[in-house]
Amino acid sequence: MSEFKLTTVEENEAATERLLETGAKVGADAWQFRVKNQTPHCKFGEQGICCRICSMGPCRITPKAPRGICGCDAHGIAGRNFLRFTAGGSATHSDHGREICHTLHTVSPDGNYKVKDPEKLIRIAKEWGVETEGKDVYALAHEMSELALLEYGKPFGVQRFLKRAPKHTQELWAAAGIEPRAIDREVSTAMHMTHMGCSSKPEALVKQALRCGLSDGWGGSMCGTEFSDVMFGTPKPIETEANLGVMVEENVNIIVHGHDPSLSEMICEYADDPEMIAYAKEMGAKGITVSGVCCTSNEVAMRRGIPMAGNFLQQENVVLTGACEAIVVDVQCIFPALGPLSKCFHTKFITTSEIAQMPDSDFVKFSAETAGENAKSIVKLACENFKNRKPELVHIPNLKKKATVGYSLEAIKKTLDTVTNSHVDETGTLMPLVDCLKSGVLRGAVAMVGCNNPRVRPDTAHIELMKKLIANDVILVLSGCSAQAAAKAGLMDKEAKNLCGAGLKRVCELADIPPVLHMGSCVDISRMMVLSSDLANDYGCNISQLPLVGCAPEWMSEKAVSIGNYVISTGIDTYLGVEPQISGSSQMEELLYDKVSDWVEASYTVEKDIDKLGDLMIERIEEKRTALGI
Amino acid sequence: MLISRIFNGNDAVYGLTEGAINDAIAQNGAECPVSFPNTAYCLPCYYAVTGVKVKTLGELKEALGVVKTLMTRNHELDDALMSGVATALCAEFIEVLKYLNGAAPYEEPCYGHLADAIIRELGVPLVTGDIPGVAVILGSAPTAQEGVDLIKSYQAQGILVTLVGGIIDQCAELNYNTGYGVRVVPLGKDVTSVIHVVSVAIRAALIFGNVTPGDAGALLAYTAQRVPAFVNAFKPIDDVILAAGAGAIKLGFPVISNETENIAEVPGALIQQLDVSKFNQTSLDARNIKIKITHIDIPVAFASAFEGEIIRRSEMQVEFDGSRVDCFELVQSKDVSEIEDHKIELIGPDVDTFEEGSKHSIAYVVEVGGKNMQSDFEPVFERKFHSYLNCIEGVMHTGQRDMIRVRISKTAFEAGFRAKDIGEVLYAKIKNDFEAVVDKCQVKIYTEPAECTRLRHELAIPMFEKRDDRLSNLTDESVDVYYSCILCQAFSPSHVCVVTPERLGLCGAVSWLDAKATNELDPAGPCQVITKEKPIDTELGAYEDVNEAVKKFSQGALEKVTLYSIMQDPMTSCGCFECICGIEPFSNGVIIANREYAGMTPLGMTFPELASMTGGGVQTPGFMGHGKHFISSKKFMKAEGGIERIVWMPKELKESVAERLNATAKELYGIDNFTDMIGDESIAEDPETLVAFLTEKGHPALGLEPMM
Repeated sequence: MSEFKLTTVEENEAATERLLETGAKVGADAWQFRVKNQTPHCKFGEQGICCRICSMGPCRITPKAPRGICGCDAHGIAGRNFLRFTAGGSATHSDHGREICHTLHTVSPDGNYKVKDPEKLIRIAKEWGVETEGKDVYALAHEMSELALLEYGKPFGVQRFLKRAPKHTQELWAAAGIEPRAIDREVSTAMHMTHMGCSSKPEALVKQALRCGLSDGWGGSMCGTEFSDVMFGTPKPIETEANLGVMVEENVNIIVHGHDPSLSEMICEYADDPEMIAYAKEMGAKGITVSGVCCTSNEVAMRRGIPMAGNFLQQENVVLTGACEAIVVDVQCIFPALGPLSKCFHTKFITTSEIAQMPDSDFVKFSAETAGENAKSIVKLACENFKNRKPELVHIPNLKKKATVGYSLEAIKKTLDTVTNSHVDETGTLMPLVDCLKSGVLRGAVAMVGCNNPRVRPDTAHIELMKKLIANDVILVLSGCSAQAAAKAGLMDKEAKNLCGAGLKRVCELADIPPVLHMGSCVDISRMMVLSSDLANDYGCNISQLPLVGCAPEWMSEKAVSIGNYVISTGIDTYLGVEPQISGSSQMEELLYDKVSDWVEASYTVEKDIDKLGDLMIERIEEKRTALGI
Repeated sequence: MLISRIFNGNDAVYGLTEGAINDAIAQNGAECPVSFPNTAYCLPCYYAVTGVKVKTLGELKEALGVVKTLMTRNHELDDALMSGVATALCAEFIEVLKYLNGAAPYEEPCYGHLADAIIRELGVPLVTGDIPGVAVILGSAPTAQEGVDLIKSYQAQGILVTLVGGIIDQCAELNYNTGYGVRVVPLGKDVTSVIHVVSVAIRAALIFGNVTPGDAGALLAYTAQRVPAFVNAFKPIDDVILAAGAGAIKLGFPVISNETENIAEVPGALIQQLDVSKFNQTSLDARNIKIKITHIDIPVAFASAFEGEIIRRSEMQVEFDGSRVDCFELVQSKDVSEIEDHKIELIGPDVDTFEEGSKHSIAYVVEVGGKNMQSDFEPVFERKFHSYLNCIEGVMHTGQRDMIRVRISKTAFEAGFRAKDIGEVLYAKIKNDFEAVVDKCQVKIYTEPAECTRLRHELAIPMFEKRDDRLSNLTDESVDVYYSCILCQAFSPSHVCVVTPERLGLCGAVSWLDAKATNELDPAGPCQVITKEKPIDTELGAYEDVNEAVKKFSQGALEKVTLYSIMQDPMTSCGCFECICGIEPFSNGVIIANREYAGMTPLGMTFPELASMTGGGVQTPGFMGHGKHFISSKKFMKAEGGIERIVWMPKELKESVAERLNATAKELYGIDNFTDMIGDESIAEDPETLVAFLTEKGHPALGLEPMM
């Protein structure tokens, strides 16, 4: 009936092989080789039982040496490592959010950054109890920016956004003593608790890991998401394309990579500038193509329809095409390998943030105040670099898929409004989704997030799980590199409805959506937290009762652990395809995989067999349905 | 929970069906034939879903085995909906058993099974939006008044309403008029009788959509996308109704209910509406039905649902009768400066001065003007008057030109309906339907007998004669272009009509002038210009330009058509044709059957059976759908020798075309009273008797070359 086909992992791998051949010609290194060099990994590290916190050590736990020099056992060491891992992730996301709040402070009607969604700004201000009546939008933005920045260091009280959670969830947090206070404080407390001679009790360390995670998801990340929307516009459904084939051979190709949209938004703005396009033509190109890698890509795809060249483990591939004039990066998940790799080609590797400075890169310091000039100079540099291409090295794999992206919570509600009956239903709610779940048209929902990790054949876990879930009438919301894996495969093409069970297919047709919804970058998992809160409220149950689970099958970063912690803390069972580095402690395993649910009604499940992981999720969803009597 | 209830309902109906079939076999034997009357599709739902024609009780039992395979029990949507389909098929089996041994199980006011002919008739109004939707009302409304109000609300929108169960008694309780003529069709009182409307939707897919029986996917896509039906089910909704509802949902028909117990909503498909007075809006919203609103300021309702309303002498307040006194209706184009827009003038006495039950003269002249108005459009507008006036609740109109009859009912009169209101309706409709060419419009209504007589002779008759001259000069050769008509594609996606002056659209509703006006009114619309500059064979009526157009407008489904042959690349049909002709091999001729004809033809097939040979945009050499007027055309199967091939027609049809057909025969072959040589059902219903009759009459077809 339909000619619609997914791009297979094999096709992607063949394309990568072809690019690595180019790499071999120019003597380039690649992660595939480095993985071999690093294998086998250090077992003590993998199990989380190597302690490097003081210079008496490092200490490693073995049956013969069950305690470190200070007397800390495996449980304390693994717990401390886990908390530090979380703190790293929480700090990273939250600092990204802080940058956004600072950028918000610079908005002005004729400045580099403006308020594109004043309604959302006013909505958040009202939520925070800020007077909006008769106030100039820009004055309000500045006021909100200061208030948001105070969330990072306020001496008293807890995060303002916690009130968005259902009452029951808030009560659980209070009872467990994990309501996050100032965002920075939770990171500092984590660092303090894990200092030599502080906490070694797994319960305490795990609780702080949850709290530190919550300060990210319901604090820093949420600020990042919400105020990005205020400045750059709240995403709405938009068509784009994904995979390396989006790069255009005859154009100047600029790749944006990283996480913070402040830079990429500006680059896109100037790449569209007629003056710059004319300049590109002067340099012998036909135009300028900006495409993205990683979460910066998600940000600009959601708001501008900028195509997605690939996800985390494809970052070297964009350079290997030989057609990348500049890879412009901001923060997080950027391989230092890009420096030496870019030297093998004509590619300019441009770092822009003091947070992420790397050897072999051109550093163009980017700041909110001078963003326009910075972006323009970068685009110019890329154009000028076009003539340095080595044509014999140019090869762009002819792989790309259509994708509809941009499903912010607001957009999801608006989409659901289209299926309501104007003579019966209220609009602006998630009730149609609730109805679908109750009636069994949809069995449940899975929030699939996270990175790529060479421990898993790249994208396979994401794609195989998605295929399995949608065939079983489970709808997915995605973010981060998981979302890009789906887009590359074609799962965000509306035609992917043909791979769904009858119920989900019906929903896709009715609402005109793809079966997997792109909700944004990794900070945007905060959107999923509000989604699940509103869903629970509209259903009239607790979040933990909803037939909804989280999943990170290919996670790798500290941020992912921080995310996982706030997702389970919000009451959503989370399924992992890669093991957290705690297996050296039975107590830590017991806590994370079981006991933590006494506090937050959800826990982690780890299963490296991807097919089984899918079964476990479906099983859990059905358990929850039975418990709800639906 | 919802899914389990559907399974339970399905199991219950299946059990009943199994018992009923076993009992029937025990009593009548497995060889006993089963069928619904007046359909070529056996058990239409089962046939459409599986491609298998069930003809005996034994086969019915086998079919039940197939139904059982649809009843899978995974708790997923598809299983639930397929169980809904299984429930519907069981309902069809139970219903067909009621017709066993030629029984007539339904009596007034219930209809039960609906004939194929009705569906063919529904094609055009469904595509034009005159019937914007089909409502299925099931169960008893909270009060009879609320039920009737709901029906009335749909009627006022032109929606075809079918009734199942308690609502039928509620109508009777309030003496509410029902029947196909007013588009309120009580099906039956058992819930299983709902299958008779499902059967209509499903046969529409076979007739218009060229869906291959057995291609369930295409069938469901057709009903979901092209049949604008929906269900209103009153509480209590038991498991059986819920299971039947699942079947409706599978076909794409949303179910709106006031039930709140033990039920879950499904967005867009199963919708709770507690307020019955909002069922109408909720349903239209759910099925995305847009009502074309022409607000007309008259004291009675105006809707296509009243088009078939009959006003009997006893119900009539006054009558204007063109067969007794001078009456006429006319559209006249004038310069815009001579027209005052929306001026409605009554010249003569009004209705309230007439005695109850009396006959009078009337003439109404609609004067129109506009930059793009052409006098060729006058008759096009004028032909619409029949439909416009009939859509008035309590007004009946028949005939055209100076042979009209208009009746106004007592109820309409009592509601305040007066002569001027006729003007309001004509004004509003002409302005609304032809806004692209009519800038200004005024209406003059004459009831003064002397004035009617004078104007009839001085104004109307000369104008009609002028038009007739123009029409008789309009031949396929005399015009430069033909028109395509794809009005039906909403329903029959690969059919294209080529409309020429001597060959009107097969539905009988679109003449070359109509097509021309439609093109003028909406240049990007359903009627497009087809040039005729590249003839291949003018005898056959084959043109490269025509082929290119047909290919383009059928999205490549059709490669070529001829205008004048029924054997070589004959023109396709959508399914809503007025007549079908088919070759009669023994006489070298063709027989023609019209939609209204319910009897047998000498081909051994009824109209529904003949009609099922073609339609849906497919070419079936030897069979062709066409309009009634085409029968007397000089171009009627000209390639095969023309009208002298016609050997048989139902009597009624023969009489209605006799005058024009005889004139053509005289002109072409010098034959007088040609229709006397043509057989009909009173002469022959089998080929042997027919050939004997033709031989006796010396019918020219016998001497012609065989067609195949």
